[in-house]
Amino acid sequence: MTSENNINVMPGAIVCEESKLDGDITIGSHCIIHPAAIISAEAGPIILGDFCLVEEQAKIIHRLRPEQTNNETTPVLIIGSHNVFEIGCTVEAAKIGSNNVFESKCFVSNKVNVTNGCIIGAGCKLIEEQTLKNNTIVYGSKCFQREGLDRPVTQTAQMDTLSKMLPNYHHIRRPMKKDYLN
Amino acid sequence: MEMQDTTYDKSEYVETASGNKVSRKTVLCGSQNIVLQGKVIIQSDAIIRGDLANVRTGRYCIISKEAVIRPPYKQFSKGVAFFPMTIGDHVYVGERSAVSAAIIGSYVYIGKNVVIGRRCVLKDCCIIEDNAIIAPETIIPPFTRYGGSPGMEVGSVPECQQDLMIDFTRSYYQHFVPARIL
Repeated sequence: MTSENNINVMPGAIVCEESKLDGDITIGSHCIIHPAAIISAEAGPIILGDFCLVEEQAKIIHRLRPEQTNNETTPVLIIGSHNVFEIGCTVEAAKIGSNNVFESKCFVSNKVNVTNGCIIGAGCKLIEEQTLKNNTIVYGSKCFQREGLDRPVTQTAQMDTLSKMLPNYHHIRRPMKKDYLN
Repeated sequence: MEMQDTTYDKSEYVETASGNKVSRKTVLCGSQNIVLQGKVIIQSDAIIRGDLANVRTGRYCIISKEAVIRPPYKQFSKGVAFFPMTIGDHVYVGERSAVSAAIIGSYVYIGKNVVIGRRCVLKDCCIIEDNAIIAPETIIPPFTRYGGSPGMEVGSVPECQQDLMIDFTRSYYQHFVPARIL
Protein backbone atom coordinates (compact mmCIF):
# COMPACT_ATOMS: atom_id res chain seq x y z
CA MET A 1 0.00 0.00 0.00
CA THR A 2 2.81 2.37 0.85
CA SER A 3 4.91 1.40 -2.13
CA GLU A 4 3.15 3.96 -4.26
CA ASN A 5 3.63 7.53 -3.22
CA ASN A 6 0.69 9.72 -4.00
CA ILE A 7 1.36 13.16 -2.64
CA ASN A 8 -1.00 16.03 -3.24
CA VAL A 9 0.15 19.48 -2.32
CA MET A 10 -2.50 22.17 -2.32
CA PRO A 11 -1.61 25.63 -3.63
CA GLY A 12 0.13 27.94 -1.17
CA ALA A 13 1.77 25.13 0.78
CA ILE A 14 5.53 25.02 1.14
CA VAL A 15 6.85 21.49 1.24
CA CYS A 16 10.63 21.18 1.25
CA GLU A 17 11.93 18.45 -0.98
CA GLU A 18 14.24 17.14 1.72
CA SER A 19 11.23 16.09 3.79
CA LYS A 20 10.33 12.41 3.71
CA LEU A 21 6.77 11.76 2.61
CA ASP A 22 5.63 8.17 2.22
CA GLY A 23 2.29 6.94 1.05
CA ASP A 24 -0.92 8.71 0.19
CA ILE A 25 -0.67 12.21 1.65
CA THR A 26 -2.68 15.34 1.00
CA ILE A 27 -1.19 18.56 2.30
CA GLY A 28 -3.58 21.46 2.77
CA SER A 29 -2.98 24.97 1.57
CA HIS A 30 -0.57 27.27 3.44
CA CYS A 31 1.07 24.37 5.26
CA ILE A 32 4.80 24.51 5.85
CA ILE A 33 6.78 21.28 5.93
CA HIS A 34 10.39 21.80 6.98
CA PRO A 35 13.28 19.72 5.63
CA ALA A 36 13.86 16.36 7.34
CA ALA A 37 10.26 16.14 8.54
CA ILE A 38 8.78 12.67 8.19
CA ILE A 39 5.17 11.97 7.27
CA SER A 40 4.44 8.32 6.79
CA ALA A 41 1.03 7.05 5.72
CA GLU A 42 1.62 3.39 6.53
CA ALA A 43 -1.91 2.27 7.18
CA GLY A 44 -3.94 4.61 5.02
CA PRO A 45 -4.09 8.11 3.62
CA ILE A 46 -3.21 11.18 5.67
CA ILE A 47 -5.00 14.45 5.04
CA LEU A 48 -3.25 17.41 6.61
CA GLY A 49 -5.42 20.50 7.11
CA ASP A 50 -4.60 24.07 6.20
CA PHE A 51 -1.98 26.19 8.02
CA CYS A 52 -0.12 23.27 9.61
CA LEU A 53 3.52 23.70 10.54
CA VAL A 54 5.70 20.60 10.61
CA GLU A 55 9.25 21.22 11.82
CA GLU A 56 12.38 19.18 11.22
CA GLN A 57 12.53 15.60 12.53
CA ALA A 58 8.84 15.69 13.40
CA LYS A 59 7.26 12.34 12.61
CA ILE A 60 3.60 11.99 11.73
CA ILE A 61 2.85 8.33 11.34
CA HIS A 62 -0.47 6.77 10.50
CA ARG A 63 -0.21 3.40 12.18
CA LEU A 64 -3.09 1.15 13.08
CA ARG A 65 -3.75 -0.58 16.32
CA PRO A 66 -3.64 -4.38 16.02
CA GLU A 67 -7.41 -4.81 16.47
CA GLN A 68 -8.13 -2.39 13.64
CA THR A 69 -6.09 -4.16 11.02
CA ASN A 70 -8.84 -6.57 10.03
CA ASN A 71 -11.24 -3.85 8.95
CA GLU A 72 -11.97 -3.84 5.27
CA THR A 73 -12.14 -0.08 4.87
CA THR A 74 -8.82 1.73 5.07
CA PRO A 75 -9.12 4.44 7.67
CA VAL A 76 -8.02 7.95 6.79
CA LEU A 77 -6.09 10.08 9.26
CA ILE A 78 -7.56 13.55 9.04
CA ILE A 79 -5.53 16.24 10.75
CA GLY A 80 -7.28 19.56 11.33
CA SER A 81 -5.94 23.00 10.59
CA HIS A 82 -3.50 25.29 12.47
CA ASN A 83 -1.57 22.44 14.09
CA VAL A 84 2.07 22.86 15.01
CA PHE A 85 4.42 19.87 15.13
CA GLU A 86 7.71 20.98 16.68
CA ILE A 87 11.22 19.53 16.37
CA GLY A 88 11.49 15.81 16.90
CA CYS A 89 7.92 15.07 17.99
CA THR A 90 6.42 11.67 17.15
CA VAL A 91 2.68 11.71 16.58
CA GLU A 92 0.75 8.56 15.80
CA ALA A 93 -2.60 9.73 17.16
CA ALA A 94 -5.71 8.25 15.62
CA LYS A 95 -7.55 11.57 15.41
CA ILE A 96 -6.17 15.07 15.49
CA GLY A 97 -8.39 18.15 15.61
CA SER A 98 -7.39 21.75 15.06
CA ASN A 99 -5.18 24.31 16.82
CA ASN A 100 -3.02 21.75 18.61
CA VAL A 101 0.63 22.18 19.48
CA PHE A 102 2.89 19.14 19.71
CA GLU A 103 6.05 20.44 21.32
CA SER A 104 9.60 19.18 20.84
CA LYS A 105 10.28 15.50 21.44
CA CYS A 106 6.78 14.65 22.63
CA PHE A 107 5.30 11.25 21.81
CA VAL A 108 1.62 10.56 21.17
CA SER A 109 0.69 6.93 20.60
CA ASN A 110 -1.96 5.59 18.25
CA LYS A 111 -4.40 4.98 21.13
CA VAL A 112 -4.82 8.70 21.77
CA ASN A 113 -7.45 10.97 20.28
CA VAL A 114 -6.49 14.60 20.24
CA THR A 115 -9.36 17.09 19.95
CA ASN A 116 -8.88 20.83 19.56
CA GLY A 117 -6.60 23.40 21.16
CA CYS A 118 -4.40 20.91 23.04
CA ILE A 119 -0.77 21.47 23.91
CA ILE A 120 1.43 18.42 24.39
CA GLY A 121 4.45 19.74 26.27
CA ALA A 122 8.04 19.12 25.35
CA GLY A 123 9.21 15.60 26.15
CA CYS A 124 5.75 14.39 27.31
CA LYS A 125 4.71 10.88 26.39
CA LEU A 126 1.06 9.87 25.98
CA ILE A 127 0.76 6.12 25.62
CA GLU A 128 -2.46 5.06 27.39
CA GLU A 129 -5.75 4.96 25.54
CA GLN A 130 -7.44 8.32 26.10
CA THR A 131 -9.21 11.22 24.49
CA LEU A 132 -7.81 14.62 25.30
CA LYS A 133 -10.54 17.17 25.96
CA ASN A 134 -10.51 20.55 24.26
CA ASN A 135 -7.73 22.89 25.43
CA THR A 136 -5.90 20.22 27.46
CA ILE A 137 -2.32 21.04 28.35
CA VAL A 138 0.08 18.20 29.09
CA TYR A 139 3.22 19.33 30.85
CA GLY A 140 6.13 18.41 33.07
CA SER A 141 8.14 15.26 33.62
CA LYS A 142 5.11 13.33 34.95
CA CYS A 143 2.86 14.47 32.11
CA PHE A 144 0.28 16.23 34.30
CA GLN A 145 -2.83 17.34 32.50
CA ARG A 146 -4.84 20.46 33.05
CA GLU A 147 -7.28 22.51 31.11
CA GLY A 148 -6.10 25.69 29.49
CA LEU A 149 -8.11 28.89 29.71
CA ASP A 150 -7.78 29.53 26.04
CA ARG A 151 -6.59 27.69 23.01
CA PRO A 152 -2.95 28.24 22.02
CA VAL A 153 -2.11 31.20 19.81
CA THR A 154 -1.81 30.40 16.16
CA GLN A 155 1.59 30.67 14.55
CA THR A 156 0.44 32.50 11.43
CA ALA A 157 3.01 35.28 11.93
CA GLN A 158 5.84 32.77 12.05
CA MET A 159 4.45 30.96 9.04
CA ASP A 160 4.26 34.20 7.05
CA THR A 161 7.95 34.79 7.71
CA LEU A 162 8.85 31.20 6.93
CA SER A 163 6.88 31.20 3.71
CA LYS A 164 8.97 34.15 2.56
CA MET A 165 12.29 32.71 3.73
CA LEU A 166 12.15 29.03 2.92
CA PRO A 167 11.77 29.32 -0.88
CA ASN A 168 15.06 31.26 -0.99
CA TYR A 169 17.00 28.30 0.37
CA HIS A 170 15.13 25.14 -0.46
CA HIS A 171 13.70 23.30 -3.36
CA ILE A 172 9.98 23.34 -2.89
CA ARG A 173 7.74 20.53 -3.99
CA ARG A 174 5.43 22.02 -6.56
CA PRO A 175 1.70 21.88 -5.98
CA MET A 176 0.02 19.25 -8.12
CA LYS A 177 -0.70 20.49 -11.58
CA LYS A 178 -0.56 17.25 -13.53
CA ASP A 179 2.69 18.21 -15.25
CA TYR A 180 5.39 15.82 -14.20
CA LEU A 181 8.19 17.48 -16.13
CA ASN A 182 8.71 20.40 -13.81
CA MET B 1 42.57 8.60 31.37
CA GLU B 2 43.11 8.44 27.64
CA MET B 3 39.95 8.69 25.55
CA GLN B 4 39.16 5.84 23.19
CA ASP B 5 39.33 6.46 19.47
CA THR B 6 36.04 7.20 17.74
CA THR B 7 36.38 6.05 14.19
CA TYR B 8 34.48 7.22 11.16
CA ASP B 9 34.25 6.30 7.53
CA LYS B 10 36.65 8.51 5.66
CA SER B 11 34.41 8.79 2.63
CA GLU B 12 31.56 10.05 4.79
CA TYR B 13 33.31 13.07 6.29
CA VAL B 14 34.62 16.20 4.66
CA GLU B 15 37.58 17.87 6.33
CA THR B 16 38.10 21.56 5.62
CA ALA B 17 41.36 23.49 5.68
CA SER B 18 40.61 24.82 9.16
CA GLY B 19 40.10 21.30 10.47
CA ASN B 20 36.31 21.13 10.55
CA LYS B 21 35.01 17.62 10.09
CA VAL B 22 31.51 17.60 8.68
CA SER B 23 29.57 14.48 7.79
CA ARG B 24 28.02 14.31 4.34
CA LYS B 25 24.85 12.96 5.90
CA THR B 26 24.01 16.18 7.73
CA VAL B 27 21.29 18.58 6.70
CA LEU B 28 22.98 21.97 6.53
CA CYS B 29 20.40 24.44 5.32
CA GLY B 30 21.64 27.79 4.06
CA SER B 31 25.28 26.81 4.41
CA GLN B 32 26.42 30.32 3.43
CA ASN B 33 25.08 31.52 6.80
CA ILE B 34 26.90 28.90 8.89
CA VAL B 35 30.34 29.80 10.23
CA LEU B 36 32.46 27.11 11.83
CA GLN B 37 35.61 28.58 13.33
CA GLY B 38 37.72 25.47 13.01
CA LYS B 39 38.19 21.99 14.48
CA VAL B 40 34.44 21.57 14.70
CA ILE B 41 32.94 18.10 14.34
CA ILE B 42 29.43 17.74 12.94
CA GLN B 43 28.26 14.14 12.96
CA SER B 44 25.80 12.34 10.74
CA ASP B 45 22.13 13.37 10.57
CA ALA B 46 22.71 16.58 12.50
CA ILE B 47 20.65 19.51 11.27
CA ILE B 48 21.85 23.11 11.29
CA ARG B 49 19.30 25.65 10.11
CA GLY B 50 21.40 28.40 8.60
CA ASP B 51 18.51 29.35 6.36
CA LEU B 52 16.57 30.90 9.23
CA ALA B 53 19.44 33.07 10.55
CA ASN B 54 23.22 33.07 10.91
CA VAL B 55 24.77 30.33 13.02
CA ARG B 56 28.26 30.87 14.35
CA THR B 57 30.24 28.36 16.32
CA GLY B 58 33.55 28.74 18.09
CA ARG B 59 36.48 26.35 17.93
CA TYR B 60 36.35 22.73 19.08
CA CYS B 61 32.58 22.35 19.03
CA ILE B 62 31.10 18.89 18.77
CA ILE B 63 27.62 18.47 17.36
CA SER B 64 26.59 14.84 17.83
CA LYS B 65 24.35 12.65 15.75
CA GLU B 66 20.78 13.77 15.05
CA ALA B 67 21.19 17.01 16.99
CA VAL B 68 19.26 20.02 15.71
CA ILE B 69 20.68 23.53 15.89
CA ARG B 70 17.96 26.00 15.02
CA PRO B 71 18.08 29.78 15.45
CA PRO B 72 15.32 31.07 17.72
CA TYR B 73 12.44 33.27 16.70
CA LYS B 74 10.68 36.04 18.53
CA GLN B 75 7.24 37.33 17.87
CA PHE B 76 6.82 41.05 17.50
CA SER B 77 3.70 43.06 16.81
CA LYS B 78 4.84 43.19 13.19
CA GLY B 79 5.44 39.53 12.58
CA VAL B 80 8.22 37.18 13.54
CA ALA B 81 11.98 37.58 13.31
CA PHE B 82 14.61 34.89 13.56
CA PHE B 83 17.70 35.73 15.58
CA PRO B 84 21.27 34.76 14.84
CA MET B 85 22.72 32.11 17.09
CA THR B 86 26.22 32.10 18.49
CA ILE B 87 27.96 29.19 20.10
CA GLY B 88 31.22 29.65 22.03
CA ASP B 89 34.34 27.52 22.04
CA HIS B 90 34.63 23.97 23.39
CA VAL B 91 30.91 23.22 23.38
CA TYR B 92 29.54 19.69 23.27
CA VAL B 93 25.96 19.00 22.08
CA GLY B 94 24.78 15.44 22.75
CA GLU B 95 22.86 13.10 20.50
CA ARG B 96 19.28 13.92 19.50
CA SER B 97 19.27 17.25 21.31
CA ALA B 98 17.25 20.14 19.92
CA VAL B 99 18.90 23.47 20.61
CA SER B 100 17.10 26.72 19.88
CA ALA B 101 19.09 28.98 22.21
CA ALA B 102 20.06 32.55 21.35
CA ILE B 103 23.52 32.44 22.85
CA ILE B 104 25.56 29.52 24.09
CA GLY B 105 28.70 30.49 25.97
CA SER B 106 31.97 28.63 25.98
CA TYR B 107 32.79 25.35 27.77
CA VAL B 108 29.13 24.28 27.82
CA TYR B 109 28.15 20.63 27.97
CA ILE B 110 24.69 19.70 26.64
CA GLY B 111 23.69 16.08 27.21
CA LYS B 112 21.65 13.67 25.10
CA ASN B 113 18.00 14.13 24.19
CA VAL B 114 17.86 17.64 25.60
CA VAL B 115 15.36 20.25 24.45
CA ILE B 116 16.54 23.81 24.82
CA GLY B 117 13.66 26.19 24.20
CA ARG B 118 13.84 29.20 22.00
CA ARG B 119 15.86 32.25 23.02
CA CYS B 120 17.54 30.64 26.02
CA VAL B 121 20.86 32.08 27.06
CA LEU B 122 23.44 29.58 28.26
CA LYS B 123 26.30 31.31 30.00
CA ASP B 124 29.85 29.91 30.11
CA CYS B 125 30.72 26.67 31.92
CA CYS B 126 27.25 25.25 32.50
CA ILE B 127 26.07 21.66 32.17
CA ILE B 128 22.67 20.53 30.89
CA GLU B 129 21.93 16.97 31.97
CA ASP B 130 20.59 14.26 29.67
CA ASN B 131 16.83 14.40 28.87
CA ALA B 132 16.46 17.89 30.33
CA ILE B 133 13.78 20.19 28.96
CA ILE B 134 14.69 23.85 29.27
CA ALA B 135 11.72 26.19 28.96
CA PRO B 136 11.89 29.02 26.43
CA GLU B 137 13.71 32.22 27.41
CA THR B 138 15.53 30.67 30.37
CA ILE B 139 18.85 32.19 31.32
CA ILE B 140 21.28 29.64 32.69
CA PRO B 141 23.95 31.20 34.89
CA PRO B 142 27.60 30.18 34.73
CA PHE B 143 28.79 27.13 36.71
CA THR B 144 25.35 25.61 37.19
CA ARG B 145 23.99 22.21 36.34
CA TYR B 146 20.43 22.06 34.98
CA GLY B 147 18.24 19.00 34.58
CA GLY B 148 14.71 17.64 34.65
CA SER B 149 11.47 18.75 33.06
CA PRO B 150 10.96 21.68 33.30
CA GLY B 151 14.68 22.24 33.64
CA MET B 152 15.81 23.54 37.00
CA GLU B 153 19.07 24.03 38.77
CA VAL B 154 20.12 20.71 40.26
CA GLY B 155 23.65 21.46 41.33
CA SER B 156 26.81 23.32 40.60
CA VAL B 157 29.80 22.74 38.41
CA PRO B 158 33.39 22.72 39.69
CA GLU B 159 35.54 25.70 38.86
CA CYS B 160 37.76 23.56 36.67
CA GLN B 161 34.94 23.09 34.13
CA GLN B 162 36.82 25.27 31.64
CA ASP B 163 39.88 23.02 31.74
CA LEU B 164 37.75 19.88 31.74
CA MET B 165 35.84 20.95 28.64
CA ILE B 166 39.04 22.04 26.84
CA ASP B 167 40.56 18.65 27.61
CA PHE B 168 37.39 16.80 26.66
CA THR B 169 36.73 18.51 23.33
CA ARG B 170 40.41 18.53 22.32
CA SER B 171 40.87 14.86 23.02
CA TYR B 172 37.53 14.07 21.35
CA TYR B 173 38.79 15.86 18.26
CA GLN B 174 42.15 14.14 18.37
CA HIS B 175 40.56 10.74 18.81
CA PHE B 176 37.99 11.30 16.07
CA VAL B 177 39.95 9.51 13.37
CA PRO B 178 39.14 7.76 10.13
CA ALA B 179 38.75 4.01 10.35
CA ARG B 180 41.88 2.18 9.25
CA ILE B 181 41.44 -0.05 6.29
CA LEU B 182 42.68 -3.47 7.27
